[in-house]
Amino acid sequence: MSAQEVLGEDPEIALADKRYEIIGEILETSLVRGRRKWSSSDMLDKVFLHKWLGIPVFLSFMWMLFQFSIETSGVYMTIIEEFFGWLGGLSGGIPNELVASLIGDGLFGGLGAVLVFVPPIFFTFLGLSILEDSGYLARAAFVVDRIMYKLGLNGRSFIPMLLGFGCNVPAIMACRSIEGEKDRLITILVNPLMSCGARLPVYVLIAGAFFSARQAGSIIWSMYILGIVLAIIVAFTLRRTLLKGEPAPFIMELPTYKAPTFHGSIIHMWERGVVFLKKAGTYLLGAAILLWFMITFPLGAPPERTYVGMIGHIVEPVLRPLGFDWRIGAALVFGLLAKEVFIEALGVIYAVEGEAAIATALTSSFTALQGVAIMVFVLIYIPCVAAVATVKAETGSWKWTIFGVVYQTVLAYVVSLLVLVIGGALGF
Amino acid sequence: MPYTVALIGNPNVGKSVVFNNLVPGARQHVGNWPGKTVDKKTGRFSHRGTEIDVVDLPGTYSLTARAVDELIARNFIVEEKPDVVVNIVDASNLERNLYLTLLLFELNTNVVVALNMMDIAEEKGYEIDVENLSERIGVPVVPIVATKKQGMDRLKDAILEAVKRKGVTETKITYGEKIEKLVDSIITIIHKDTGLAEKYPARWMAIKLLEKDEDILEKIKGSTVEDEILEALA
Repeated sequence: MSAQEVLGEDPEIALADKRYEIIGEILETSLVRGRRKWSSSDMLDKVFLHKWLGIPVFLSFMWMLFQFSIETSGVYMTIIEEFFGWLGGLSGGIPNELVASLIGDGLFGGLGAVLVFVPPIFFTFLGLSILEDSGYLARAAFVVDRIMYKLGLNGRSFIPMLLGFGCNVPAIMACRSIEGEKDRLITILVNPLMSCGARLPVYVLIAGAFFSARQAGSIIWSMYILGIVLAIIVAFTLRRTLLKGEPAPFIMELPTYKAPTFHGSIIHMWERGVVFLKKAGTYLLGAAILLWFMITFPLGAPPERTYVGMIGHIVEPVLRPLGFDWRIGAALVFGLLAKEVFIEALGVIYAVEGEAAIATALTSSFTALQGVAIMVFVLIYIPCVAAVATVKAETGSWKWTIFGVVYQTVLAYVVSLLVLVIGGALGF
Repeated sequence: MPYTVALIGNPNVGKSVVFNNLVPGARQHVGNWPGKTVDKKTGRFSHRGTEIDVVDLPGTYSLTARAVDELIARNFIVEEKPDVVVNIVDASNLERNLYLTLLLFELNTNVVVALNMMDIAEEKGYEIDVENLSERIGVPVVPIVATKKQGMDRLKDAILEAVKRKGVTETKITYGEKIEKLVDSIITIIHKDTGLAEKYPARWMAIKLLEKDEDILEKIKGSTVEDEILEALA
């Protein structure tokens, strides 16, 4: 008999069947299943995984998460802000003007602007850790997956996406667990649309500047949801055009629900948050100094004639239809280093210009609708250089890396423009 | 030279917890959802005076060539030949977990099964006859509750014994007369190329070839018996 005759169309399944048969025989003598109790885990799943309730439950949990982190962190942010304001005042006493500016505008104005966002970052990670440790996050993945699978996307994709809320770099690496090259490519290419931790400060800054504390949480939440929705749309489009095919079938194991422990959740929060602190002490510190040099030299030039100003003016014409000025343009360019640097850049520019707070400077030059457009742009446009390098490493292809960079830039532009046009038409 | 032990198991069975329990000072991020360990992580511990290196492999349900993490796991076992492979099994979900165990038997490894989450299995009302299970699958089975650090010393003892015993698990999975005949015919062909037969377990290769495993099909490329094998598979 030929192999085909013995094993049929799919030999893998034929052999797998045989293995399960053997397992069945083994368990017959070694396992006694007692009467299965109707556990609380089953009851929760009935609701959380419900066909219609699943998505609303997921959306409400996410909304609660951001509402919690924004409302809770407000006080702490003010304290840090006051502290840096005080330090900035002290640096005014340094006799050498250039050194005073480096410390006052560069370090306290730039790096300080980012450090203000330590509280919302830590509270968001605390909320995420609680959701993860309780076992809910895996359910959220399952619920969103169900939609993705119906649209022809790989079911395993959402797990790397969840990681993307922390940082896109490990998330893109986690795509290795996805079967099928095309499925993996799609997931890698859309992963940067997941709002990473570095984008959170930008949202908090802008939403906080233009909206009340009560509304800010919802605005930030909608940025995260917009990212997910765009990822689904882009993935769906890729699946139908450049990367045609059927998704691999998907089995996902749901962990049991556990009451999160205080100790465990704090440790998880710390593990994720400390990455930000380390980045602030090294990379973002360097970026702040670099930014300060580039906006102070050529010495004596007004801010718009300095190197930062020049860079801003190069991109400004392209961004003009969106209503972004050269400052936002320059900040977007520097934001490629890391998205927190977007804030640092604005902080340094405004500090050198003599503005104390970025938030008030922003509200005096932009409308709330433009603020939303800026957030949308930051969400979608090219992720940081580290993420781009990871895409290159994981796809092994310049072609796909460049494709990713181009589509993200174009999409950012189009969606921001849509926000302005539609928002304007609605009278915002 | 310290011995090498690989940890393998389905996603979310507590491999990282076991790793952290075994390796002093290790702080692997432990998450309550599957799929977080995609690369292998290593650490070292010493038990009763013997140094043992531990490698935490990515969680997999199976050992196909289709996903990168499954390939990482299986290539490590086939090529690095760890002294012992500790298969962490979710006691509350034996049926699916033992699938991987059976696959490990084909890889000529020295398997120790750690039966984790015994507490959850009990909650579910499962009674597991550990001795019987161990006898049926022909390898040591150690019940543990990794999150509560229960049974870790017994697991270390079992690892140590297995390390000293050397050799490989001899449990053979038989697929029935017809399939076995096919497997045997391919094994015969593989043995004609001694280089190939020495490098990989012949029976495992034969089974993977029958499954049309892309990685193995790639590995036999250029072998003197490639054409003969492909003919037998047709």
